[in-house]
Order: sequence, then structure tokens, then C-alpha cells
Amino acid sequence: MDDLQRELLEDLDDDSDSSDGNSSKGSKKSKLPLVNPMCAETPKETGFHQSTRVCLEQIREALLHHRWQEAAEYMACYPQMLEDPTNGTGQPYKELIWRISTEILHHHPNSKMEDYNNIYERMKHSGVRHYLMICLEHSFHLLLIGHIEDAKHQLSVAESWRHGKESAAQYQRIKLIHAYRSLLDYIIWCDKKFTRSNTEYPDSGDNQDMHNYFRQASVNLKEILKNPGVWDPFILSYVEMLEFYEDHEEALKVLNDYAYDSTFPPNPNAHVYLYQYLKRHDTSERKLMKVLKILHVLVPSHELMLEYSSLLLQSEKRSDIQKALGVVMEMLDFACWRSNLDVWERLKSIIQKLQLQEDWKDVVSGQMAARKDWWPALHFTSFHASKDSEENPELMKVKAPLTKILCPDLMLKYTASQVTSGE
Amino acid sequence: MDEEQTAGYREPCGVCSAVDWGVSDEGRFYCRSCHNVIERTREVVDPTFTPGSSRISTIGRGTRTKRPERGRQWVICEGFQFILRNQANALLKLGVSPRFKDEVLCQLWRIYLQKSRQAYTNNPVRTATFKVRGQDSDSDSAAEMSVLSASETDGDTNASSTAGSIAGSSSDWSQCSGSLDAASYLSARLRRSRHGLMSMKKTLALLHLALVWIQEPLTLSDLLRLVNEGHVPYVNAYEELPEEMKLKGKDALIFRVESVPSHRAVHKEAQTLILFLQLPAFPPISQQSLLHPALLSLRYLMDANLPDDLHPWVCRVMECAGMADQALHTFNRLLRPVLPRYDLQTAALIIVTMKLVFGLDDHTEWDLSNEAADQDATGNAFSVRRWFRLVQTALTSAQRRREQHVARKQWTARKPLHPNSKKKCVVMKRKRIAEQLQICFEKLSSRPAGAEQDAPSSFRFCWGDGDGADGPSMHQQQLDAAVTLQRDVLTPSNSTYWHPSLRACKPRKCRSHYSAVEDTLPRSFVWLLRLFCFLLDVPPESLYEETLRTERRLTGHRRRRNREEEEGKREEQGGRGGRGGGREKNREEEEEEQRE
Repeated sequence: MDDLQRELLEDLDDDSDSSDGNSSKGSKKSKLPLVNPMCAETPKETGFHQSTRVCLEQIREALLHHRWQEAAEYMACYPQMLEDPTNGTGQPYKELIWRISTEILHHHPNSKMEDYNNIYERMKHSGVRHYLMICLEHSFHLLLIGHIEDAKHQLSVAESWRHGKESAAQYQRIKLIHAYRSLLDYIIWCDKKFTRSNTEYPDSGDNQDMHNYFRQASVNLKEILKNPGVWDPFILSYVEMLEFYEDHEEALKVLNDYAYDSTFPPNPNAHVYLYQYLKRHDTSERKLMKVLKILHVLVPSHELMLEYSSLLLQSEKRSDIQKALGVVMEMLDFACWRSNLDVWERLKSIIQKLQLQEDWKDVVSGQMAARKDWWPALHFTSFHASKDSEENPELMKVKAPLTKILCPDLMLKYTASQVTSGE
Repeated sequence: MDEEQTAGYREPCGVCSAVDWGVSDEGRFYCRSCHNVIERTREVVDPTFTPGSSRISTIGRGTRTKRPERGRQWVICEGFQFILRNQANALLKLGVSPRFKDEVLCQLWRIYLQKSRQAYTNNPVRTATFKVRGQDSDSDSAAEMSVLSASETDGDTNASSTAGSIAGSSSDWSQCSGSLDAASYLSARLRRSRHGLMSMKKTLALLHLALVWIQEPLTLSDLLRLVNEGHVPYVNAYEELPEEMKLKGKDALIFRVESVPSHRAVHKEAQTLILFLQLPAFPPISQQSLLHPALLSLRYLMDANLPDDLHPWVCRVMECAGMADQALHTFNRLLRPVLPRYDLQTAALIIVTMKLVFGLDDHTEWDLSNEAADQDATGNAFSVRRWFRLVQTALTSAQRRREQHVARKQWTARKPLHPNSKKKCVVMKRKRIAEQLQICFEKLSSRPAGAEQDAPSSFRFCWGDGDGADGPSMHQQQLDAAVTLQRDVLTPSNSTYWHPSLRACKPRKCRSHYSAVEDTLPRSFVWLLRLFCFLLDVPPESLYEETLRTERRLTGHRRRRNREEEEGKREEQGGRGGRGGGREKNREEEEEEQRE
């Protein structure tokens, strides 16, 4: 009977209405797979759909031009779209309304927290597919404002949500929710630690409380770290808690897994975190160098390369000195280190140490072979000379003699320029 | 008895057999005479529930038996009758003469009911059983309708074949629709022609016919504009039906509308209705009538800020095209079974006049404007350029206002009506969410939702010096350079007239070539067309076709049919040959440039 009803509904508006605009048969359908625009006029559009479509266009214009008051005014007229009788679930419109509303609230001068709460709660319960995402966004918002407890409460409510097939299909989002709830537990733990360290009479009850949070947090953090991904804030918080409770084995294991597991996407930060942890716990230089070696491969311009080069410099092996030279030169390949005094001084000390070997010239020319064409333009032009002499004379003092060593054949213009008149 | 609260619950009490119920504080029903509390509770639905405040509201258990509605039985045409009455009252409030409602509309409605065999007839079309129920047997409606009892079935084979199914389902009519015959209304549609049964669009058609009959200067485009702006109830008109007539279920398919129908649709509906009702000849529309182009053009000229001096020219073109005759404008079932579109015809006349006087070929009008600017000593000469600039600014802001109005318009009803009763809870939930969102943003922006209702007016623009005017008025200006005196007769300075191919399309095959041709037309013409399309709220194709029709009449272009009409017209024009009009027309024919 439903099909019949639909047919009758169409029947009810006469066909004379339809082709008012499309009298010519010349409109061609595009053969390309174009996105179905939401704001396009369909031929048999009802007045209701026309109103909502035009309203949406106006909202979009207002948003694009940052006319927030106007956007809010039109947004007051738009929710009738949710009541569209011909629309099945209204799925895309619910998401649209959610996102546009929050955007307007972010920017409108009169928006208050209760407005946010209102919108989030309404849209959460308007459908099942977006429930978890909206919960997450709501708790993020509360987190940004500083209502940590509320944020945690939101996520706890979301954690206990079950809705048959939907919750099964969204298991990844549920994992995210678990993870963020644990992060919030960690933040609360930090607060408690801070207050505890500030009070004169630490209460054992506080300790127990802290420990509870630690336990709650660590369960989920451990879980999320099993999935391949980039989990930097989670791992940092976990390791910090583990260090506090002096569970070094676990911390090391977690960091190693994070850095060396090949199923995880390559993440330089993982190695940085591992290195920093090892440094904090007085590891041997060999081990430190091993970690930094991989980091060097991933990010040659990383600032830790300076430390790497100093480690290499301190070692006794010949090959290490040459490696150090390579490391520093690769750093200087990047323009961000061009004006950095420390790097150039390191280069100077490396070369000085290298000069104790006999074949230092070969080593240097070997490294410079690939760089001969473009290093002068990168570092040693007269423009650089004038700039350095004005802004950074110490740098110039370090750089100038190096030009002779690095590029003995070339006539470079990197000299102290004559001071122009007008001083 | 708390009527409101107990909502018509009339079961006798188990203990004392009295029917005197009240609702206690907790929402439970109790008998007032013996204080017996029954298990029935009143459902609590709190729309102001704000989430976040953890309050538990009591949930009623709902009714065990389907309690009979406290309304009365009603049929669909009763509903339409109320709606028509409300629409007519609205029109009366806007200034239409009271004859419209009492003498004309009522009569038309009765004729319709008779012709469609829904009332005033011996064999009604509907066979829904009007079973006399225990309590509410009030089947005597306030209107003068003769309701026939159930046992009379008609000899119509179609209806009798549905009798079985209807009788079978009539026992549960209350579940699928509020009215008695919604089901038969919808199913019978398929089997017989649609013209018999009423629809919301037909109410507008009926109103239009009545307005034409009494020759009110409210054209179809005016009526539709009043509907769009909300001065005449149409969308959600069913909300104003009396309380006892409960609507639900399939009634939604009939009474709920999601669009205001277009000009073309309502006109077509009116056309078929007029033939269905077999109305006699309409009162003739003479030149003194306000619907006649002679007087209606005055109004449009004023609205478009064109000088009053153009009006004599419009009249002359009208005479040349043979459109002055009242027979052309009056509907007559035998002689002229076509309902004229007064607004479109008049607008087309004005456009043709403008073409005649100013050329509108993207050159002549600007040359004339230059001349007017050069030679103008008094500052009173009408210049197309100045007029265009003035009207264009007013037009763009009016179009923007209209678009805002369209965007802000609220279509949903306070009490939503859904064909499928089971989905009602979903619908209510969505409504609550939408309302909450609306309230939130209304508070944020301090502006209530919904389009602001403008004061009703026949005119779209206001020209003059007052506050709120769209611009200075050009009505008093003169057509100095545009017309010259030749052989003691005023003729336009412009001596050429262009028109596109006048061959009429075959009516069934294609409707209009406007969208194909538009790019080749002069921009001034297209702009003028769009101006009048905005004033009348019709698509450009309709007005373009009407202009072509006028030009066909003007040039005597032959059509396949109605040759006698053409002959008759040419005689008229021949008779006027002595006057300037005929001569001018001949000159046009000599010098016309055909443009494809």
C-alpha cells in the first residue's frame, strides 16, 4: 500500500507542474561521475524543498563570508528540514545541521556553553550513526574549555552505549572513545599529582585515588597502543605515569614496541621519545647512538642530530668521525640550519678532529663531491656574507675559514665585505 | 468531569457505574463518585524537557482499547468546505466585496458538489457507511449539506464494486484516516477521472473562478502571491478546521501540501473545472471592467514605473490586435471555451507596446535615451536608460528580499500529519528536535524564525518620494522624443519592429522554445520580460509565449485553427482603417524585420 500511496502523492500534483522550466529537450546529462550536489535544484522540487535548499545556500554564503549573525538567523529557519516527510532517515541533513550549528556557535559572539550542550545533546539523540562522533566532539569541546570532569563523564556515558548492529559497526570509534577517556583519566591524575606535591601533608587517600586513576588509564592506553597508528600523546602520558610508579621495564617495552614495530607507520617522534627516555635513565652511548641512527635516516634535519654528532665526535672510532661529518653536512643541506652557529661550530670541531687523520682531505672532498654544485649558492654567496657580517658576525668568523677547507678550488665571494658609505 | 484531562474517556466505573472521571496528581484516572482508581494513566509528554537535567518523567501506559474519538464523523468535502470558507473570509478581510463569498463562491461550491455527486444528488459517489454510533451521531454539519444514509447505494458499477471493500474496512476507518471517505477518495481516483474529486489545488481554482465571475481586479498571480505570503490560508490550512474534525492517517495525503502550485497549474485546473461544472456564460468583461486590459494595464504600468503617457499606446495596440472586444475576455462555454489569463495578456500587451515605441533591440532605446537627454529642457522627458537604472536597482533588491522570504518560510505544521500512523512517534521526535534547535538559534540570533509577513498590497513596488519608496516616480514624464507628430497623428519615432518567428508550436509536442531562443534575443527585451515575470511571478516561458500570441494577433499571422476568428478580426481592423491605428499597422507590416 505504500507504493500506492507514493504514486498517489505524485499523482496529486498534476504533471502540468513539472515541465514549466524544462521545456527544451536540450539539457544533457553529464557522463562523468560528478558529486551529487546538495544544493542543486531538481526538476520536480516542492516548495518545501525549495525553501530549505535556498536556506541552505544562504547559510553557506553567510558562513563563507563570516557573517555569523546572519548564519544564525537562517539556521533558526533551517531545522524544518529534519521534519521532511519524504526523506527517509534524513541522515546527511542531521550531520549537516550538527556541523554547521557547532561552527556557528564557535564564532558567534553570544554563544554560551548551554547552547553547545543543548545542540550536542539534541543531535546526539537524533540518530544512531553519529552518536559516538558527537559524543567525542562534545567531550573535546569540554576539554578545551577546561571542564575535564564533564568531558570524562561524556565519554563514560558514550562507552556504555550499545545499539545492536550500529555499535558493532563502529567499533573503531569505540576504541577511540576508550583511549580518550583514558587520556582524560591521565589528565586528572596529573592534576592530583600536582596538588599532592603542593600540599604539605600528603594524604594516603589521595595516593589511593591517584593510583585508581592510573589503573583506569593504563588499561585502555595499553589497549590502544596495540593498534597501528600514531598515538603520541597517549604514549607520552602512559610513559610518564609508568616512570612515576617506576615501572621501567614496562615503559621501555612500550617505547621499543612503538618505535620498532614495523606494522606501525613510520613515526620519527617514536624514536625521539625513546631516545629521551633512555637519556633520562643513563643509558650507554652505544645504545643512544643506535636509536639516533634510525632517526637520522628518517629525519636528517632533526635537531637531535646535533646531539648525535656530538656523540659520534666523542667516540674513538675512525669511522664515527666520518659519520659525524656526514651527519652535520646533511643537516646543513637544509636551509633551516643555515644561520645556526652551533651547527657550524660543530662542523668546525669535526673538521679539526678529522684533520688529525692523514686522509682527511679525501674524506672532505668525498662528502663535498655531491654538494659542490649547490652548496656555494646555499651558504657562501656575497649576499650571505653581507647578511652575516651585519647580523651574525660570530657566524661569519666560523664560516669563513671553512670555505677554504670545504671548497678549496672555488673562488668564493664569502668574505668580509667592505662597509658601504653611510655609516 | 475534567474534559480536557480525561479526553473523553467514557467507560462507566466498575464500582459505581458512573461516568465521572478525574485525573489525580500522579496522572491516574479515578472515579469522582466512588474514588475508585483505575489503572489508566494520562500520558505525560513534556516538550520542554531539557537534557542534562536528570529528571525522570512519568510514562503513561497508554490505552488498552482504542477509545472512540471525541470528535464527530466527517467526510472530505466537509473539510474542504471549511477550508474554502476560511480562504474566502481571508479574502473578504483583504477587501474583496462580500458578494464574492455569499453569492458566487457558495453557489459554485454547491454546483461542484452536485456535479461531482458528493451532495445534492440522488446517487452519491461515496458509499462509506455512515453507521450511527452510540454517542456521537452528530452527522449534521453546520453547512447546508444533505447527508444520505448508508443503505442507499448507487447504481454505479464502479462504486458498488468498491462497496464491499469499503464496507469491510469502514469498521476500522478510524485507524487509517480521520475522515470517513479518505480511502475511497484516494482509491476512486484511480478508477474514474480525477476531475470529480477535490484537492487543495482545486480550492485555489474555485477561488479564481469566483473572482473572475464578479470581476474583482484580483488576478490569478495576485491570488497566488497572497497565498505565498500567507494572507490566504493554503499551506497547513487544515490546522484551522474545527476541533471535532480530527485528521489523521490518509487525510494527510489529501490535505497536506508541500508547494504552492504554479500559475500554469492553477489555470489549467480552473480550465478543467469550468468545463466540468458546465457553467453558463460569465458576465461580460467590458472595457470598464478592471480585469480588461484597458484598465488592468494602468495598474501594471504604474507598478513598473512607466509613464502614464504610454497608456493610450497600450490601448491602441490592444485595438489593433483585436483584443479590445469583450468577447475575447469573457468565458463562454459554447463560443469561447477558453479561460483567459488576464494578467499575462495585459503584461504581453505592455511589452509589445514598449517594443513598438522604444524598439527594444539593444540600439533604438538607447539612441532615444540619448536624444531625450540631449534635447530635454524641462527634465521631464522619459528616458529608457534612466528608467532602466532605477528599476534595475529596485528589482535586484526586491529579488533578494523574495529569496530571503523563500529561505525563511516555514512549512511545517504545529500538529504534524503523517499518512502512516505508526511512524507518528518518529515524526514527533523529529519535530521536538527541530523545535529545540529552532529555539536555540532564535535566542542566539534574537530573531524569530519564519519569513516576516509584508502588508498585503496589489503593487510590488512603490514609486514616489515618500519613505520606503523604491525610487522616484516616472509616471508624470512625457514621451517627448519617442513620439512625433506625423500627418497630425502621433506616431512613434521608432519605425521598425522586430519579432522572432511567430510560428506556433504544436500544442502536444512542445511547449515553448524560449530557452533555446533566449540567447539570441536582445538583452533589453529579455530584461523587460524578466521584470514582468517578477511582477507576476510566472516563469519567462509563459510570458514569452503570451507575447508571441499577441504579436500573432497584431500581425494577422495565420493559424491553423480559428480561421473565422482571424477573418472577423481583420474585418474589424479594416473598419478602423480610417484612423491612425490602421495606417500605423500597415506601416509596421511593410517595414517589419523578421528575426529568427
